[in-house]
Order: sequence, then C-alpha cells, then structure tokens
Amino acid sequence: MLVFTRRRNEAIIVADGIEIRVLRVSRDAVRLGVTAPADVPVHRQEIYEQIREENCRAAQPVSSLSDALSRVRVARGTGES
Amino acid sequence: MTHTDAQSTPTRVDTAFGTFHVAARDIIAFPSGMPGFEQCRRFVLLSSDELAPFQCLQSVEGPAASFLVIDPRRALPDYRCSLSDVDRLRLGGGEDDALLWASIVTVQADQTLVNLRAPVVINPALMVGYQLMPSNSLYPLRFELTRVF
Repeated sequence: MLVFTRRRNEAIIVADGIEIRVLRVSRDAVRLGVTAPADVPVHRQEIYEQIREENCRAAQPVSSLSDALSRVRVARGTGES
Repeated sequence: MTHTDAQSTPTRVDTAFGTFHVAARDIIAFPSGMPGFEQCRRFVLLSSDELAPFQCLQSVEGPAASFLVIDPRRALPDYRCSLSDVDRLRLGGGEDDALLWASIVTVQADQTLVNLRAPVVINPALMVGYQLMPSNSLYPLRFELTRVF
C-alpha cells in the first residue's frame, strides 16, 4: 500500500484524470473530493459492499421461482388495498 | 444500426428457468459488470410466460450469474429513482423514459426480497446497462415483495 501524508487542499492523482483532494480534516473524519472521468465508478466502500453482498445472495442458484411466484399476489385494478 | 448480423446465430443460454436462445443483438453490455460480478460484462434479459411478472438477467460471459429481476414499479407503483448526470452519461444519454428498470430479486426460504435501492438500468437503444449505486436512496436494499402491481 502506498501511504501519503496530505494537508488540507492537497491532492493525489491516480492514473489519468483521477484526483482525490483533501477538503477538510476534523478529529476523526476527512472530507475528500474525488474528480474522475464519468466512466470511472466511485463509491463509498460500505455501500458497494452492501450491494455486492445482496447481489451474491440473489445469484444463488434458484429453483425456487415457484416459491417467489406463489408468494406474490398480483394486484388487479385499483380496487384492492 | 451498425451491428453485423454475420455472427448472430442464436446462442443457447441454459438457466435455472429453462433454456433460451438469444441473438447477438439481444446482448446487453455491462461495461463495469455488477458488484460481486465484475467479470460479467454481457447479459441478456430473458422473459417468458412462466417467469412473469419476473424476468431473468443472465450473464453470457464470465462466471455464470443469474438474477431474477422485476420492474421496481411493479413492486412499488410510485417508485421514482432519479439519475445523476454521470448515470446518464454511462447509459449513453437519451431519454429517461426509454430506459428499462430491473430490480434484483432475492428468493429466500420464507420471503422474497427486492433490491429497490440499487436497480439495474438498461438503455435499450444502445443495449448498455449498469447497476445504480445511489449513496442517498430512500428505497430499501431489501424490500419484501408480497404483491405485484
């Protein structure tokens, strides 16, 4: 792992056109600004991890379509609540 | 249309929900894969009477990945997820109205869950898709599906 010391308003550059800048530093948090091309995904790690876990759970081999179908009731018209 | 139809012999795709034959023009590019399935860059969206109201989003490249999906508006009729400019750019621009939305379904022993927070969005004009990852969505990652609209 590369380790840098950066002060407020200093940045690092990753590859071409990705800039990560320290905007604010407080006691236990750092506010970062990321500038990246539109095709470079940038996410908070925990959000990415949550979605990854949910995708992996969803992609389990399922033979349970009938379970899913039997559980959902198709609402017809607007009369039902 | 710049597709060449020379290689469009239907490809056989075996899924847990049956066998489908898909043509090259049915393949949807996912340039960044999906979280957990980053190597899967090409998918097809399969529909059948047996699957309805669900569809199957199935990888045709990389590790086998097969998702049951549903239009989020069939789970919540007033579902509205806004796209950022970056999202639109990744989807190749075009009208929002033309986009296809597919929320991933997780079938568990006792309940069926729908990921309304991170829907898959597909631009059918360009056959490109990706999974949105909004950091401030109001919708749950695990919405229990009990009825379909």
